[in-house]
Amino acid sequence: MTLVERSFASLETGLLLLPAAVFLAGWFIVPLAQLLLLSLADPRGAAAPYAELLGNAVYRQIFLNTLVLAFNVTWICVLLAYPTAYLLTRLRGWLLGLAVYCVLIPLWISVLVRTFSWMLILERNGPLNAVLVSLRVLERPASLLFNNTGVVIGMVHVLLPYALLPIYSAMRTVEPRLLLASEGLGATPLMTFRRIYLPLTLPGVAAAATFVFLLALGFFVTPALLGGIHNLTAAMLIDNFVNERLVWPLAAAASFCLLALILVLLLAASRFLQFGQTLVAR
Amino acid sequence: MPLEFHAIAKRYGNITALWPLTLSISAGEFLTLLGPSGSGKTTLLNIAAGYLDPDAGAVLIDGRDVTLLPARKRNMGMVFQSYALFPHLSVFENVAYGLRVRRRPAGEIRRRVEEALALVRLDGLADRAIRDLSGGQGQRVALARALVIDPAVLLMDEPLGALDRQLRKHMQLEIRRLHREFGRTTLYVTHDQEEALVMSDRIGITNEGRLEQLGTPRQLYERPGNAFVASFLGESNLLFGRVSERNGGWACLSLPDLGINLRGLVDVPLAVGDEAAALLRPEILRLRPDGGDGIAARIAETLYLGELIAFRLELPNKQELWSRRMATESWPSEGTEVRVGWQPEDIRVLPISANQTRE
Amino acid sequence: MRPGPSAAGHAVGSAVLAFLFLPVLAVVPASFNNSSFIRLPPQALSLRWYHAFLADPEWLRALGTSVSVAVLATALSVVLGLMTALGLDRAPPRLRASIVALVLSPLIVPVIMTSVALYYVSRFVGLHGTVLGLAMGHTLLCLPFVVINVGVALKGVDPNCQRAAEGLGASPWRVLRTVTLPLILPGLVGGAAFAFVTSFDEVVISIFLSGSQAKTLPVKMWETVRVEITPVAAVASTLLLALTVLVFLAVQIARKSNRMGRSYD
Repeated sequence: MTLVERSFASLETGLLLLPAAVFLAGWFIVPLAQLLLLSLADPRGAAAPYAELLGNAVYRQIFLNTLVLAFNVTWICVLLAYPTAYLLTRLRGWLLGLAVYCVLIPLWISVLVRTFSWMLILERNGPLNAVLVSLRVLERPASLLFNNTGVVIGMVHVLLPYALLPIYSAMRTVEPRLLLASEGLGATPLMTFRRIYLPLTLPGVAAAATFVFLLALGFFVTPALLGGIHNLTAAMLIDNFVNERLVWPLAAAASFCLLALILVLLLAASRFLQFGQTLVAR
Repeated sequence: MPLEFHAIAKRYGNITALWPLTLSISAGEFLTLLGPSGSGKTTLLNIAAGYLDPDAGAVLIDGRDVTLLPARKRNMGMVFQSYALFPHLSVFENVAYGLRVRRRPAGEIRRRVEEALALVRLDGLADRAIRDLSGGQGQRVALARALVIDPAVLLMDEPLGALDRQLRKHMQLEIRRLHREFGRTTLYVTHDQEEALVMSDRIGITNEGRLEQLGTPRQLYERPGNAFVASFLGESNLLFGRVSERNGGWACLSLPDLGINLRGLVDVPLAVGDEAAALLRPEILRLRPDGGDGIAARIAETLYLGELIAFRLELPNKQELWSRRMATESWPSEGTEVRVGWQPEDIRVLPISANQTRE
Repeated sequence: MRPGPSAAGHAVGSAVLAFLFLPVLAVVPASFNNSSFIRLPPQALSLRWYHAFLADPEWLRALGTSVSVAVLATALSVVLGLMTALGLDRAPPRLRASIVALVLSPLIVPVIMTSVALYYVSRFVGLHGTVLGLAMGHTLLCLPFVVINVGVALKGVDPNCQRAAEGLGASPWRVLRTVTLPLILPGLVGGAAFAFVTSFDEVVISIFLSGSQAKTLPVKMWETVRVEITPVAAVASTLLLALTVLVFLAVQIARKSNRMGRSYD
């Protein structure tokens, strides 16, 4: 290649990347930058909205609730995902295909449809309560909707595949021969699990936990539909600021607080993990 | 057409892939670049094809400087190690690709593709899908694809690496047959010395970006230029020491821990005091009963190789020599003490370090 | 690992898989309810709510808007995504890392934040309540998947295939057209399918960008469900569900039948 051809090649690469870069800059970066300016444009002063958010007990509580909710959803998801991912590694043939569909199809389905299904199932006169009462587990129908229980159930349902995929991915990389070797050396299944399998799959668990937690922090639709007035999340608060009270600086500030939270956690997690593969898994 | 490299050099950051290398391949010659992985042979091939730009030097085809010419204008036929067949096209379309690019009329394309397939003995497979081909068949489609465009030079990058032994031997002879029939200039790259010996008019031994030696298979085997070439081509025993005497075409190598001075032929400038190695090919070593002439040794192991017997001989200083001879009715058993002898003119004293030998 | 702890693990695993898959199906029987409020399981089945859906101009307009937006968003994502993936393939590592980060960033930033920011800006440039504005917003979320899918497909192409084509005399454009594109087409189609479904299902950005002129189906559902839960919402859900599953299965079938061998060993 001549020098001219080489520069043409670089130009071509640039031209290929330009449209998406311009699009993202104009329709993503610029709006976010504008939002940042908005957060600093409060007539009371640039730091005022942030101060109000952090100073107001109600707002602080909402952020705290968001964190606690995300935390609960995360550990439940991971706990449920681990044995399920293990089951997936043991399946073969059409059973594996079926199981994988069970995980992938919900990922493709709208979060609204999924949340709505739970509204139908969890309501007082709904099928879940009916079954529990008829099995004598409950005396009266329980209030599963418009409270924390409903929100957690719904969010776990939506986020479970995001926990499953990284853990499954990590489990698949464990060579079965390692486990056989451990048993050959006299270890009980429990010891093999504790000393070999668990440590090897831990990075996948950590990735899953991080993934789910970060996604859960930003959740809007599910808590909005399944939760009650005491279950406001940060995202719902932002919605409230914009659509109900029209206080843009506060909305913008709350957004950036949420983003800051997410970025800090992401940075901390990326010290120990690699995310590239989990995104590709989808 | 002849292919020439003039002072071709290539660097990757701090690593020199090719030191300035000059090589001429005559029209119709089959030249093999033989060397270990990373020795620069594939780099040179890619530079010839135009997939890599050299940092210095020129590539000439039929006297014309093509160094700045992009790959698609060089009219070279390349066969890759992984074959690189187009998976979404049929065998016919794969072979026809180069002709379609050249906008040949449909009738001519059909005729030439069928000829090429017949040449590589794949007639009748034109409509097969690539994924339904065996390894050997895939290789031959790749060959047909490269040949059908009537290239100036044929370039082959370890094309037989993925095949099993029997198939590889068969394909070596096939490629040789095709070369004899059409006399196309060919540059072949491999790390398999047997392959190089079978197919080549000349062989160039590469090592760490340099051409160690260039010559016919016989020249390289009988008169290796240094210890590296000797150890790369054919079985060899190398004893390392210092030159103690130099006398015309002879030199003496002092081997203190064996307590002997080895005398052998030498044809490179080696001075007294230089480090050198003595090459003893396994077939020149004579085993004599204990007590006779030669170095004392013990047969540590015998290997039955069918038509040959190989002996692993342990010398008093724990060094080893391998000896080979035809399997006759009987041979000495393991543990026997013997004497190892040879003719001085069968030994070559060689320099150790890399030297560019003029052909 | 031997059975024992595994048997319990298997039981939990199967229960979880059922938990993942079955609840979503709840909307289907709900949509066939005969009564005007939702009972699960329905006491009597009827198609009246499907008729109601099809007779309601607002729902139909929402469906139409969703289709338009999804088609436009898919087209945008495919064009931008293909070019970007091709560019990333040849880009130097530092540039590649920055562009990948840029493309993936809409997935990291919480959707509510993106929605709010776009809401603000779209009103200034007159894109609020338009199909174009919605499609562009959706493209932010769809683009990464096209880029990743095509990127993975590109990695699967033997680079020597492109070199071979080049050596046989093909110009770079010809190599792209006759070798690269055919080989990455499955990845591109898969990415496009996912982009389509993502756009069709998208809720949060749509809530903020729809305005009153360009309500998508999910937005209409959202508004309906917040006020009261009628079976019409279940009908809309079932339609969304059916579309998603159909597209998903179509992609899987296309992938299976298009298993092109990359090697023959």
